[in-house]
Amino acid sequence: MTDILDISRPFTAYDRPADAETERAVTRFLNAEARTLDREAYQEWLDHFVDEDIHYWMPDMETRNRSDARGPYRHGDSAYFDDTLSELKVRVARFVEPSAWADNPATRHLHLISNIEVYETGDPSLLAVCSAFTNVRNRNETDQDVIHGRREDVLRRHGDDFRLARRRILIVQNVLLSKNLNTFL
Amino acid sequence: MTMCRGSCQGAGRPDMTPVYPTAGSYPDFARLVNRDTAQVDRRVFSDEAVYQAELRQIFARAWLFLAHESQIPGPGDFIRTSMGEDDVIIVRQRDGSVKALLNSCPHRGNRVCMVDAGSKARGFICNYHGWSFGLDGGLRGTDGKVYEKDESFEKAQIGLTPVAQVASYKGLIFGTFDPEAPSLEEFLGDFTFYLDIMLDNEEGGTEFVGGAIRSEIDCNWKFPAENFVGDILHAFWTHQSGAQAILGGGVDLGKRYDELAFQASVYGHGIETNLDKVGNTRTLGYPELVDYVFDLSERARARLGEVRARAIGAVSSATVFPNMSFLPGQNTFRVWHPRGPGKIELVSWTIVNRNAPERIKDLYRKGVMMTFSPGGVFEMDDGENWEYSTRVNQGFVTRQQPLHYALGLGSEDLERNLPGIVHKGSLNDANQRLFYTRWAEFMEHDNWADLQNGATAAPARTRAAAE
Repeated sequence: MTDILDISRPFTAYDRPADAETERAVTRFLNAEARTLDREAYQEWLDHFVDEDIHYWMPDMETRNRSDARGPYRHGDSAYFDDTLSELKVRVARFVEPSAWADNPATRHLHLISNIEVYETGDPSLLAVCSAFTNVRNRNETDQDVIHGRREDVLRRHGDDFRLARRRILIVQNVLLSKNLNTFL
Repeated sequence: MTMCRGSCQGAGRPDMTPVYPTAGSYPDFARLVNRDTAQVDRRVFSDEAVYQAELRQIFARAWLFLAHESQIPGPGDFIRTSMGEDDVIIVRQRDGSVKALLNSCPHRGNRVCMVDAGSKARGFICNYHGWSFGLDGGLRGTDGKVYEKDESFEKAQIGLTPVAQVASYKGLIFGTFDPEAPSLEEFLGDFTFYLDIMLDNEEGGTEFVGGAIRSEIDCNWKFPAENFVGDILHAFWTHQSGAQAILGGGVDLGKRYDELAFQASVYGHGIETNLDKVGNTRTLGYPELVDYVFDLSERARARLGEVRARAIGAVSSATVFPNMSFLPGQNTFRVWHPRGPGKIELVSWTIVNRNAPERIKDLYRKGVMMTFSPGGVFEMDDGENWEYSTRVNQGFVTRQQPLHYALGLGSEDLERNLPGIVHKGSLNDANQRLFYTRWAEFMEHDNWADLQNGATAAPARTRAAAE
């Protein structure tokens, strides 16, 4: 496996920005993905945005001293998501059940995506994409959950489009300030 | 202690001996649990005065779960946790023993440890004035040795307040702020018989997967604790969607429910189980884990006997009073830390057998993430129930209405040769009634003799079964 596909290795040395046209296309892809998630169209998300070999990882963020060699997160330890496609499908299968009470009545979702940077990698079929997000969920009358974080995505070229091959989600919260995580980030 | 009034004579030197609070008695609060009518008054979930009494009567006295031995394997390894709302550091000493220390500098009170965990620490230094403490909590020095230059300064008697007692049971480290509390094994009583289903089903014991998932739920801490102590009933309705997603069908309690399923309670600790062997494990969604648990169950028969061997992966849940819970077979292990009457911090881990193959350990980690984490298909639907069960009691009239805990009245099983107070069937409010009875005992009694000999103690006839 090339380094870029190793989920445990955060992006470091990508310094060749993609051309403007690629960057526009990636931005369109990420915005369309965000809108798809806002609509809770999870099956569509799996079908049109996610690649077969997806690895979708969101580690727990620990508060550690700077000198601690372990760092704030580590692959193989506790995580919110560490999913392949088959595991994402199970989560989606729950969302679409009529008895998914935490989603009925519907949650109002907003995925704000910004700070998009697109880099070429050693593999012409793969792009390294950084972005930041604000995720807002509002339910019932006044229940509101906000999560901020960064994503490190590996996008695979797919004809004129892209598919998500890797997503590393690093949130800024240590204690998740929410009762659940009924969304994808 | 009085402060000097301008003509210091040096007579009032500070006495820095640790202060351990004494308990009181709150009979009015104890009566909020009505055993005769199987009702609980909602003020136990909403009243600030009741909550403050809980911090004094329960969290400052009961043995509370602190850490798993595997989280702090070597000298200087530490984690930070809570006992009630008190912040504490759990740290391995150079001689291999474990100390628990209040995370508050005796000088101005600031925290001396700001991180979740760490390894090979030499001690803890307060960021405010640089007071530094050894692994044992003793004061080693102050910045610039300014205090040390003062003749009246008695460094030797100053330190981080130690948790009064610390003890382990099969890998789990507990502590209590009460120097008078009975031993951990007496506090757990015959419930250790049931803890061993998870902690001692094979040679080598257990360990925690690294890290932890922390989240906040705006609910009273007792709702999740009572849910795990004996509410399998909710699984059918609350978790219909999760069961459908993973199993393609509903929650299944196994074929011989009437004969096998039971609830058992000792001192308010409780387990409900169906003895169906792998029902909980199956919900993790990995057939490989189901095979593993079938094999484990066969091997564990000699060690644990037929009943407990069948419980290793069965549809089951458990709480150790007051706020530590786990699911056998699903291997989620968690603590519900109170943060006021209407908020908790949930910390959860994955527990695995130390000698399990690495592949199995990782499947448990992934399976717990898929089911019992904030994004998990089961835990997803619990939080909102507990939040609104709590929040509606803001209504003045609403909170005058009692709650119904009367499923399974008269279902006590006096025949079955199992430790504790045993009830027939897992679909039963019996353990929850006993959880609240225990809660009322803590509110009522200011001494351990009464606490350990009340209605929640295991009947003598069942104690032999635990031997």
